[in-house]
This record gives sequence, structure tokens and C-alpha cells, in this order.
Amino acid sequence: MKRREFLSKSGTVAGAGLILGAPSILKAAEGNNNKVNVALIGMGKQGRVLFEAMSNIPGIHFQTVCDIWDYNLDGGAKKVQALQGHMPTKYTDIDELLEKEKGLDVAIVATPDFWHSPHTVKCLDAGLHVYCEKMMSNTIDGARAMVRAMERNKKLCQIGHQRRSNPRYRYTLDHLINHHKICGTIVNINGQWNRAVKSSQDIKYSKRLTIDSDRLAKYGFKDMHQFMNWRFYRDLSGGPISDLGAHQIDVFNWFLGCQPKSVFASAGNDYFKTREHFDNVMAIFEYDSEQGPVRAFYQVLTTTSAGGGFYESFMGTDATIKISESAASSSIFRESTAPEWDDLIQRGYLRRKPAPPKPEATDGISSYASAAPEEFTIPGVLNKPPHQNHLENFFASVRGDATLNCDARHAFESEAPIFWVNPSALQKEPIIFTPEQLQV
Amino acid sequence: MSKESTESAEACQESKAKQCHDCLGVVFATLLLRLWLGVRALQTGIEKFAGKVMSEQAVQIDGEAYDADLTEVASTKGYALDNYHGIPESMKDTFAGEPLMMGWALKVYDFVLGPALLILGITILLGIGSRVSLFLLGLLYVSLTWGLILIKQDSGVAWLGIHVIMIAMALNWSKHNRLCILKKW
Repeated sequence: MKRREFLSKSGTVAGAGLILGAPSILKAAEGNNNKVNVALIGMGKQGRVLFEAMSNIPGIHFQTVCDIWDYNLDGGAKKVQALQGHMPTKYTDIDELLEKEKGLDVAIVATPDFWHSPHTVKCLDAGLHVYCEKMMSNTIDGARAMVRAMERNKKLCQIGHQRRSNPRYRYTLDHLINHHKICGTIVNINGQWNRAVKSSQDIKYSKRLTIDSDRLAKYGFKDMHQFMNWRFYRDLSGGPISDLGAHQIDVFNWFLGCQPKSVFASAGNDYFKTREHFDNVMAIFEYDSEQGPVRAFYQVLTTTSAGGGFYESFMGTDATIKISESAASSSIFRESTAPEWDDLIQRGYLRRKPAPPKPEATDGISSYASAAPEEFTIPGVLNKPPHQNHLENFFASVRGDATLNCDARHAFESEAPIFWVNPSALQKEPIIFTPEQLQV
Repeated sequence: MSKESTESAEACQESKAKQCHDCLGVVFATLLLRLWLGVRALQTGIEKFAGKVMSEQAVQIDGEAYDADLTEVASTKGYALDNYHGIPESMKDTFAGEPLMMGWALKVYDFVLGPALLILGITILLGIGSRVSLFLLGLLYVSLTWGLILIKQDSGVAWLGIHVIMIAMALNWSKHNRLCILKKW
């Protein structure tokens, strides 16, 4: 069955209350228009990642670039020039850009987290559709403002949870979990993003590229170190749980189709003692999903790469699906008591992995252990840069040919619980969510 | 002929034969070293033009292609001028953040590195101005070493150190270098 066919057939399921997984009802009012004029707001590392992904999408005109750092601004503009043959206009100030530039359709916002909400709201109020990087904001009120601005202006606002447009993730949810129910009943979820100390160091900068202090102050940075390392500061970012954790916790909520009812977190400044944000965070979310209670454990550790990087594991009574953006880190483990999958394998839904050799019992413990589950793989790999499908979905929606896979309201519903992880860890207490804490 | 002179002539012949025997070994050693260094530089230069060609073989579910973006393999390797990258993209920002690294120098280096490796690889393999080519390749490796010291890639520094030692050995044996197109320089 083709993906589109499946989606149309499963539309009734989406409409039956799985609000987090339902596609957006928002669609650009305008009809087909091949050329879309784009403003690139923020041309740092993530801005360039998005630009590279967009450079593969036809019909985009990069009209203007905005960044407060000349190094990013000039470098980004040159990349645009190399792609489309002429230099875009350049701005250091978004207000000036929005005032002077005419004919813009879309803004791509990839600025530091604490600027996401102000920039997105400004652009939506100026009549642009917006693609904004996750996490929506460093504050829950900032995220709320984005949803309100999207709905007030009746413009599109896609949030950069790119897994929502990844065909491997969509296939796994639609076919393996929802349709064929290979997990049985999902009772636990486990996810992580672990990063080595070496990859978690302060980002250095060349003194000759320093931004003058007045400009830094105007845009909310006390100095150049803070500008380069805004992720370490509480007023500028949500820390590792939002930088990295937001991706996986969004998948938890999207796949389960509901928000958690509570969170209990433990965290600390275990290695990077002077940073404002926790360097290691462990959180447990509890859900009352349609299929029953689910407990989800998530850890983000910036002090070790051990444990296999980043992934999400959906652990059911019949099978566990471990999925990651990296196909090599993905696997499916079938419980010995689960129904046979020979038919699904024959039809291409799953691939069987060669069985590993049986380990010989060398101690008395093995007699207590369950038999090792059979291992399978999700078929196929994504043949595009990881953000491209999500951007394609956004631009198709702008043209009126699709609906957003992760509009600001759905992203808010998924992200809202993440805002309460750090408070739970600070208070050393579980937080039982009230509707006010999770709603716009 | 006296007995002494006969013995002396035999000793001389024996010495010449031994020298020739040793010489052949050094000639082979020099050729192998030249071959290794040439191939190393040439292929490294070619790899600067390597990129991904996205796969189009879609995964089949129930006998039909599921999604054009979900393929059996993500990409295969291909070579094109458009793929050129002297310094890997992931390392450019790291270098740009180094106070001692001049921005203009980084751009020039990014532009020059690939062609330089290609040209030096070819000249070393064909034996065109071998000594100058080896010396220039050595300088190139020294410059790479400096960059890696800046970003604390100690294993890469050690690896390049071995390359420079091999170049020094090749220069030391350059009088045994054979099969050259241009022996001068």
C-alpha cells in the first residue's frame, strides 16, 4: 500500500482524537505559485543546514538574508549567490528587513531559541508564512504567542521537528505501529541523546570576528561568548533537554497521540559545573494513552557518547521498535511469544536481520535471562538530507498543495511538557500536569 | 698477473656485485615509496571531488513503491567538479573560530588544497621534478599539521608526521630514483 493511499484510508483514525498526530487543517489560502520569495532569518550553523536542504527544492527564490553577525551574514549571502547567481539583500536587523523588503512570502527562522518567538511573531504579523526551528521558544509563553500569531494572521507556521516528515518515521507509525500493531500494546518508551564531553565544549570564536558590544547588547547578548554559546544560558535557551530532547520527546507524544499526564526529572551540573543549564538530565513521563498506561524514560547526557547516540524505543508486549534518524541505529526486536511475521516479511514490511550466534552460558545468571529476541529492520533509508522533507512539506503547503505536518499548535501540544522538565528537576518533585500547563 | 692483483680484482668485482645488489634494493624501495606517496596524494585530491548520488530505488511494500524518498540505500558515491571541497564543511567553522587562522588564508587553502594534491600526486608518480614535488608535498603536509594542531587533532598530527618522515626518506634516496620523466629538480 502506498503512503498516500494509507494516509487517506487512515484519515478517520486521525480524526478520532489523535490530535498530536493529526495533520494540520491549516493550508495556505493562496493558490499555486511556483516562485516563493524567502527571507533567511539567522544564517548560523542551523540556518545553513536548512539552506542546504532548501537548495534542493525547486521554485525557491532567496530574496534576503538577515543575521546580526557579519561573518554569518556575508558567508550566508555568498552561499545564496553561488546557488542562484545573484546576491540577496542583507540586513542585520529584522525590523528593517520587514519594513523595506517587498514581495516576501516566507521567512525561515533559525535564530537562537529566545529569538524564535519574537521573530516568528513579527514575520507572521507582517503577513509571511514561517518555518521556525525547534524548540519553539525558551519559554512556554513565547511558544503560546507563536500559536496565537499563526492563528490570528491565518498564516502557516511550521516548527522544525523534521522527523514528522521523515518517511521512515511516518511509515513506522502508520504501518508498523498503527496498522499492523506489531508492538502489541506499547507499555514503555525509552529515548536518549547522549553526546561526548568533547562535542559539548564551549564554541570558540576568532577575536577579529567579534561583534561590537552595542550590537550584542541590542540583541540580548552580554558578550561574544554568550552569543556563541547561548545554549548554556537559562534566559536564552531551554538547555540540553530542549536542544536535543525536544526531538525525541516530540516523537513520544506524536506516536502515542497524546500528552503525558506528569513528569519527574532529575538533573545536575555534573561535569560542566559553571554552566547555567543542567548537563545531564533524566526524565520520566507518564501517559494515559488510548491503548493504556505508558511510561517513557528520556535521558540527555552531554558527558558521554556511550549508549548509542540518539534514538527512541517503543517497547510493546509483542515487539520493540527502536527508531532513529540514523537507519543504522534502528532495529525491531520481536518477542518470542509474538505472532509470526513471515507474511509481513514476505510483503516487504520488515526485513529479518541475520540471527547473532548464541552466546555460551559462562555463568549461572543466564538461566534467569529471557531468550534474546529476534531482530528485524525497518525497510529503507531516507535518500535526502534530514530536514528536506519537512521543508518540502512546508513549501508544498505554502503553495496550497499539502497540509503542514507540524504546525505551531500541534508542535506546542507536543513541546509543552518539555518546558516542565527543568522545573521538576529544580524542585526535585514530580509535576502532575494541569490543563493550563499544557494548553495555549 | 700476480696473485695479489688477481685477488684484488676479484674483491673489486665482488664489491661491485654487492653494491649493485644493494643498489637494486634501494631503487625498489625508492620506487615503492614514490608510488605510495604519489597514490596517497593523487587519490586524496580526487576524493575532494567526491559526493553523494542519491538513490532512486524505492522500497517496495506489497509490490509497490512506498515513497520515492524511502529507498533501499540512501546514496552512492560519485565524483563531480561541483562536489569540490578542499576543507571538509564540518571543519570550516572550527577553523574559522581559531584566532590564529586568517579568514582569507582559509579560503585560499580551501581552493588550492585539492588541485595541489592532484598535481603533486601526478608529478611524483610520473617522476617530474621529483625532489621539488616531494618537498612541496612535504610543505603541504606541514601546513595540514599546523591546522590540526590548532584544533587538537593529535592523531591526525601523528599520522601526518609519518607522511613527512616518508617524504624525507624518499628525498634522502632521490639519487636512486629511476623511471623519471624529468630528472632535473
